[in-house]
Amino acid sequence: MSKNFFEVKNVDFNVSNKIKVKNVTFSIENEGDVICLLGPSGIGKTTILRTIAGLEKIKKGSIILNGKTLSSEKVNLEPEDRNVSLAFQDNSLFPHYTVEKNILLGSERNKEKKEKKINLKEIVDLLDIFHILNKYPHEISAGEAQRASLARSLITQPDLLLLDEPLSNVDQSFKEEIQVRLKKILHKLKITTIIVTHDSYEAFYLGSKCGIILNQELKQFDDPYKVYHLPNSVEVVNFLNRGILVPAKVTGKNTLENWDLGTIEGNFIKEYPKGSNVQLLLQPEDLEHDDTSNLKLEVVDRKFRGTNFIYTLKTPSNTLIPVFVHSHHIHQHEVDEKFGIKRPIHIDHIVCF
Amino acid sequence: MRINFWYISSFVISLFVIIPILTVFSSFFESTSNYYQVLKDTFLMEYIFNSLILLVSVLLLTFLIGTGSAYLVSFYNFPFSNFFKWALILSFAVPPYIYAYSLTAFFENYGTAYTILKNLFGEGNYNQNIPKFDGLLGVVLSISFSLYAYVYILARASFLYQSQNIIDLGKNLGFTKFKAFYSIILPAARPAIVAGLSLVAMETLAEFGAVDFFSINTLTTGIYNSWIAFDDLAFANQLSFFLLLFIFALFILENLSRKNAKYHFNARSGFKQKQKIQLSGKKAFLAFFFCFLVLFLSFLFPLSQMMYWTIKFPENLFDLNTLDLLTNTLYLVILSSLMLIVFGLVSNYGNRVNKDKTLNILSTLSISGYAIPGVILAVAFITFIAWFDDSVVKNLGFISIKKVFIGSILGLVLVYFIRFYSLAYNGIKSGYEKINISVDESSYLLGYSKRKTFMNIHIPFLRNSLLFIGILVSLEIIRELPITLILRPFNFETFATTAYISASEDLLEAAAVPSLFLILIATFFIIVTSKYILRDNNE
Repeated sequence: MSKNFFEVKNVDFNVSNKIKVKNVTFSIENEGDVICLLGPSGIGKTTILRTIAGLEKIKKGSIILNGKTLSSEKVNLEPEDRNVSLAFQDNSLFPHYTVEKNILLGSERNKEKKEKKINLKEIVDLLDIFHILNKYPHEISAGEAQRASLARSLITQPDLLLLDEPLSNVDQSFKEEIQVRLKKILHKLKITTIIVTHDSYEAFYLGSKCGIILNQELKQFDDPYKVYHLPNSVEVVNFLNRGILVPAKVTGKNTLENWDLGTIEGNFIKEYPKGSNVQLLLQPEDLEHDDTSNLKLEVVDRKFRGTNFIYTLKTPSNTLIPVFVHSHHIHQHEVDEKFGIKRPIHIDHIVCF
Repeated sequence: MRINFWYISSFVISLFVIIPILTVFSSFFESTSNYYQVLKDTFLMEYIFNSLILLVSVLLLTFLIGTGSAYLVSFYNFPFSNFFKWALILSFAVPPYIYAYSLTAFFENYGTAYTILKNLFGEGNYNQNIPKFDGLLGVVLSISFSLYAYVYILARASFLYQSQNIIDLGKNLGFTKFKAFYSIILPAARPAIVAGLSLVAMETLAEFGAVDFFSINTLTTGIYNSWIAFDDLAFANQLSFFLLLFIFALFILENLSRKNAKYHFNARSGFKQKQKIQLSGKKAFLAFFFCFLVLFLSFLFPLSQMMYWTIKFPENLFDLNTLDLLTNTLYLVILSSLMLIVFGLVSNYGNRVNKDKTLNILSTLSISGYAIPGVILAVAFITFIAWFDDSVVKNLGFISIKKVFIGSILGLVLVYFIRFYSLAYNGIKSGYEKINISVDESSYLLGYSKRKTFMNIHIPFLRNSLLFIGILVSLEIIRELPITLILRPFNFETFATTAYISASEDLLEAAAVPSLFLILIATFFIIVTSKYILRDNNE
């Protein structure tokens, strides 16, 4: 028997006999772990959740929860027999019941089996939905409906909780606070959870592991830090959209040379033979600003992001490079001005393709 | 495909409903008598022409009355607008043949109109100046005022679901009220209005009582005659087959003209409750007058005419065994409605959970019973039972089952079931369409089985719809005439058959009493449930 709490092995996820994501393998080691699946819209993230919940069938591979096969080519446990809860992205509250009754319907599941780790009041407080308890789903906002739906799923205390874009309709101002509360509650209840989202910050914050789904495949499944800093493919780099690839030549064990930036040193993630030509990943935080440096590039754009600026610089070979500068930096550079880059350039982990 | 309880139930129900329908269609390939030749040489063109005129006129009139009144009560506040909102469905209580009796009673020579004029202005030769609403015009008015409520209810429901957003959009584009109605409100309600009109069309082409009373030759009369006078069931079926083709062609055409336009409201983009416009002065009076006129002509007029006669000829009231008629009518209504609701519900749910093509096709076929005139259905049922009894039951050595099904309550209820199954099935289906499939999925994910989802989630959600469908079906059964006439047990009368028999014996005064009772029972049904009907529409 496998030691992992939850496993997806070589599964093709399909909708109406059309493969959406193929040959997916990942696992959740411990009960209570939270993982996130990240990918662009329409890529099949929801299909994965629906299949795990038992709403879609599989023809290849197997899905195993706590040693029990939920789905395989031969087995297909009905959704009601899985003890897996799915909170849909769109409002799926029962329209003819109040929010309170909706949530209480959730608490009927497992009412005999498990000790109550959380009650209605706690969940209502945590998700701040007290004021809508007596309202009907059509009387509340999309964000409130999403929180109510989340409350209903949480109160069932399932073996596996699946959240499909759980906070996509929640106001931006309130989102971070709810994220914090959600993380706390999942930790407290020790509910194993898979969250699907297209928001990388949400995924990095909530998940102990992140899976990136692109082009019908699970491209990378790793902890958030590694997914961000050590992407394993050009597709993942492009998807996270936080860096660019520049041509470089490996010149030593810890160095490489770029035509525009000169020598770059750091720790290679993967070994490359000296002299080989590679594509080096440059992320905005890899280069440091230095007014005194003699390596000057032209500013073509400046984005203010609150805590920081991201300058886009043009190299002599017309490559556009993003550079991160703290917004409290003593002065700002205008477009067309020159911008100094600190030398020698040192990158903690050198990622090349 | 996993065969489960819901699949099998749904399959069996649909199959049962299809059998007599198939019997009708199978007769299409049988040889016919000389009646066809006789008819072709004589009245066929007249039948077709009359049917066409009748259909087009009724559709036009029901569209104008139904949509117009629905628009007024949905978008405007004016004196008694809340009263009219439900009062306008009271016309359902008056079947076309009773309306026809009222028209004749009022406008005939020395009729009620004459009496009123005589009482007001003294003796005079009024008869020649009183218009006569008989013949084709009488039929058109009788059917239209009785059936416009189909269009009214469906159009109103659709208007209510229209968001203030699209109306505001019209204002923003600088549309006048008429332009907004014509280019935004009406097109958005088009599917609902067409659904209402299609019910009216089918009822009109299948109408027997009023057409027979005014002696108008239509295809339905042709069908009836070919069976009654020429005993030619095959030709009767062929005629009804053409009737059906005609209806289908009409609606396929409508469907094609919609192209890819979408009419349903996208729930994700947000629904904004409408603000009704307050009317005052002349406009308020005109709106009130229009609704009052519709209510008066469709309901108050036939009701008062029947009341007047009942009071004028009280002996007819005492001659009638009212309690028996009431028991018989309610017995049929309750039994049939319950059966229709339960089986319609089970069949719908079976289709919903199985999503199976075969089942879907079977269900679609099974709902065509409504388009087949009651006369034909009753005869087809008799034909099928006779065939089944002769070729199967007797061959297996069992005793004849004819008596169990023909001339029995069971047979009658079964044919009602087949005739009105589509009404129940479609009504429940439209209720089901409001339940997003993710509601079912959420229920499964909360650990509810299919049965529990059906009982605990769907039935409470559909409660008001079911009540509404139940009442609609009950009203149809109370008013139903040809099936009851053909299949009722010996000496078993309802208000409808008693009224018909009296009227066909030219005893219109005697027909008034059962007609009045019929109207009153139906009115009671409508009033009791009107608040549910309206609540179902989110008010």
